[in-house]
Amino acid sequence: MDYFDLNLNLSEDDLALRKAAQAFARDVMRPVARKLDLMSAEEVVAEGSPLWPFLRQAYELGYHKVLLPEGYGGLGLSPLQINLVYEELGWGSFGLSVLLAVACFPFYCACMTNNDELIETFVQPYCDCTDGSIRGCWAITEPDHGSDVIAVGEECFSSGKMRGNTQAVLDGNEWVISGQKSAWVSGGTIATHAMLHLQLDPSRGFAGNGICILPLDRKGVSRGKPLEKIGQRDLNQGEIYFDEVRIPKGWMIAEPDYYVPLLDLILASANLCMSNWSVGLARSAFEEALDYTKQRVQGGKALIEHYSMKQRLFHLFSRVETGRAISRAAMNLNLNISPPHVEYSLVAKTQCTEMAFQNAHEAIQIFGGNGLTREYLVEKLFRDARATLIEDGNNETLTRHGGHILSETYPRPPLDF
Amino acid sequence: MAIFKDKTVMEDLFGELWTKMINETDFGPKLREDNFSIFFVTEDPEVVMFVDANGPLFGEAAQAKTPVVTMKMSGDTVHKFWLKQINVPKALALRQIKAKGPIGKVLQLLPLLKPGFGLYPDYCKKYNLPMEL
Repeated sequence: MDYFDLNLNLSEDDLALRKAAQAFARDVMRPVARKLDLMSAEEVVAEGSPLWPFLRQAYELGYHKVLLPEGYGGLGLSPLQINLVYEELGWGSFGLSVLLAVACFPFYCACMTNNDELIETFVQPYCDCTDGSIRGCWAITEPDHGSDVIAVGEECFSSGKMRGNTQAVLDGNEWVISGQKSAWVSGGTIATHAMLHLQLDPSRGFAGNGICILPLDRKGVSRGKPLEKIGQRDLNQGEIYFDEVRIPKGWMIAEPDYYVPLLDLILASANLCMSNWSVGLARSAFEEALDYTKQRVQGGKALIEHYSMKQRLFHLFSRVETGRAISRAAMNLNLNISPPHVEYSLVAKTQCTEMAFQNAHEAIQIFGGNGLTREYLVEKLFRDARATLIEDGNNETLTRHGGHILSETYPRPPLDF
Repeated sequence: MAIFKDKTVMEDLFGELWTKMINETDFGPKLREDNFSIFFVTEDPEVVMFVDANGPLFGEAAQAKTPVVTMKMSGDTVHKFWLKQINVPKALALRQIKAKGPIGKVLQLLPLLKPGFGLYPDYCKKYNLPMEL
């Protein structure tokens, strides 16, 4: 369903992009996501799954390169346009939105290096790909480490006691990687490339980490089984194992000397995406509830005619508008400055995911018993929204991290250029 | 001691470099095609310059323009950048380079500047700037 935008200055291009993304989300993404949701995790990625034609169609339309600059073959969208498109994709399916975004993470990072070899080897083939056959993933989470790998302000973060599950040592001109990533790596069992976080200097804890680009067809890489979970079942997740995997030295794009600020930069972008898709999910819950209250008759009249229902629907609508405002403002800030003001991305992620969850929860309440059944979309939205409170850093850890940033930076001075 | 001894050296060198890049390499047509413009703010020495397909401007003329991307860094960082002795993501992360403007445009700028990397060493010789840092 379309919506009235508080921004009255959207250009024709902005509106056209939004309309195209709406159509894709409504006609392709949501129907596929509902099918995948009912399948087992293994069936989702098996041959013949609707996931594969979906990916082909998404790649043909360029939705795998929304974040990439035009000069490299990406869509070259403005921060506002990214926001408009991602809200629609989040409306269509949160899980598939994550899958399409992490697909570009290794290649987005390679763009930042301005390294010709990395761009020719990795970025250009990815941008040229129209069949979904080149897929990245963001391999950060580990079996023994979840949100603590991003808790930069915590004392433990830089402690030598924090032994990462994935380590790399330099051997001549090659890095040798051993260990594993956890089952929560989005796209983990089907990705062809990883943006891999790994420990290079264990004496510094996670502050001794680095990031490399790793083609997952290298000798020594193996995968776990696709993960079964309650929500975002359309999003493939699973472990990746590394047994003395060798990569050229130049594929390590970040080393410990600037890992921490780069991690913040990545976190700022990832959390903006989370907030953006959450607004789409929150809107979806609101629209489902609104439709239902117009159709469902109770006590001799449509639910919408009941006074209390109007009040409840307005709360759902208010969360969508509030979420969109903060998500869009944070994206407009942090995709327009480098380095970003991370705390605003954290506000957007924590608030928008909470609001999306609240909307899905209240939508089920409005549906009554029907909302608990798979016949209605709100049941899926509720399960999908629950995961967002943990995904990309659980909200408690992110809140602590935000407080740490505030303790060091508040009040921020105006930009001085 | 700063690499660029004063504002004049920096303005002269980059005035020549940008003009050559725009007029004699594919940088100029690409800037025009993409309607791209950049505002550079450097410290030590304090210089502001604006570059678009029409050429470089400095000082008040530069400040009167509205750029697509603004970049702020020290004169020494500028020098290292053109010598390809700087890791851009590292410099961004460590705030040695600050940028304002769509991040996609900032990333897109880097490959556009390629012709300048080849030309810069000649200007270092001309202006007697060290190339081994």
